[in-house]
Amino acid sequence: MVKSIIYTLVAIALCLGIFFGTQYYIDSQVGKFHSALETLYDKIEEKTATREDAYSVRELWADKKSKLHIFIPHNDISYVDYWLSEACALIYRDEFDLALGKIEVLLEITKNLPDSYSVKLENVF
Amino acid sequence: MALVFLRTTIIFFTLLLVMRLMGKSQIGEMQPFELVITLLIAELACIPMADSSVPLLYGIVSIVAIFILHQIVWLLDLWFKPMKTVVCGKPSLVITKEGIDSYQLRQNNLDVADLIESMRGAGYFNLDDVYYGLYEANGKFSALAKEQLTPTLPVLLVDSGKPDEKNARIAGLTVDKIKEFASEQGCKLKNVLVMTVDSNGRVYFQPKGKPYKILNMQVSGQW
Repeated sequence: MVKSIIYTLVAIALCLGIFFGTQYYIDSQVGKFHSALETLYDKIEEKTATREDAYSVRELWADKKSKLHIFIPHNDISYVDYWLSEACALIYRDEFDLALGKIEVLLEITKNLPDSYSVKLENVF
Repeated sequence: MALVFLRTTIIFFTLLLVMRLMGKSQIGEMQPFELVITLLIAELACIPMADSSVPLLYGIVSIVAIFILHQIVWLLDLWFKPMKTVVCGKPSLVITKEGIDSYQLRQNNLDVADLIESMRGAGYFNLDDVYYGLYEANGKFSALAKEQLTPTLPVLLVDSGKPDEKNARIAGLTVDKIKEFASEQGCKLKNVLVMTVDSNGRVYFQPKGKPYKILNMQVSGQW
């Protein structure tokens, strides 16, 4: 019985560790990507965004998503991939007005992404 | 991840509640919470395996959640006795020396036909072959048998006031004849809880809310 209690407590501790660790990790990783997107947004607004800027944001996302795949459903990552590809393609062609809209969508997605995995009533039900 | 844990917990307790409400007819040799775990584990393991868009960690966390909930329920069972009744239920005495307790049957969402089937499964073919019969918390039927069993196979003629025409034909009887027999006992057909007859014409007759009687009647069927 003592062994069972120890196993249970270990499992609870493990779960708590995973819960807090995952939430912190998603918040920080998506937060960093969100900041990069904000910078890109400002540059697009000023019409100074370059191919390199778009490329570096893409690289940053590629690095983050390989780890985020472990913690969030892959469909959510695909949405970001889709909108980011479109935004980058527009920046490459200097179509800043259209790219702005795509980046806005991305900003909204990355703003809400960590929230959709946090313990909130609307997420539970 | 905490969200997955919380959702699994909610599903676990919802299923447990539903299983408890369904009564013993739905369980069959498992405690309600064991059945819930069996139902959940297969699904939880299967979804992340089959759907590659769901991280494997989701399945692992859900299964660990089930393990924790199982341990908690088990420990509560050990330490806090009333909890055992809440989670697992308690045995229901459905046959006493006075006959069938219809209230207990209803409490477990069972009818007389289910009881007779359980008795046959346990090796008793006549309702008066046992002094006491009960459904354990896990849905298994247990009985204290009489020293002498009646070696016949009775057919159910009336189940909760409703005559069984097919069985009546097997016994060579008609519904009118059954009604007549019931009125001879001072009882309307709708007030008969159970009536069975075997090939020797031995009748088990129990009106609702009254003790059973063993009577005789003429039967012409062969079975």
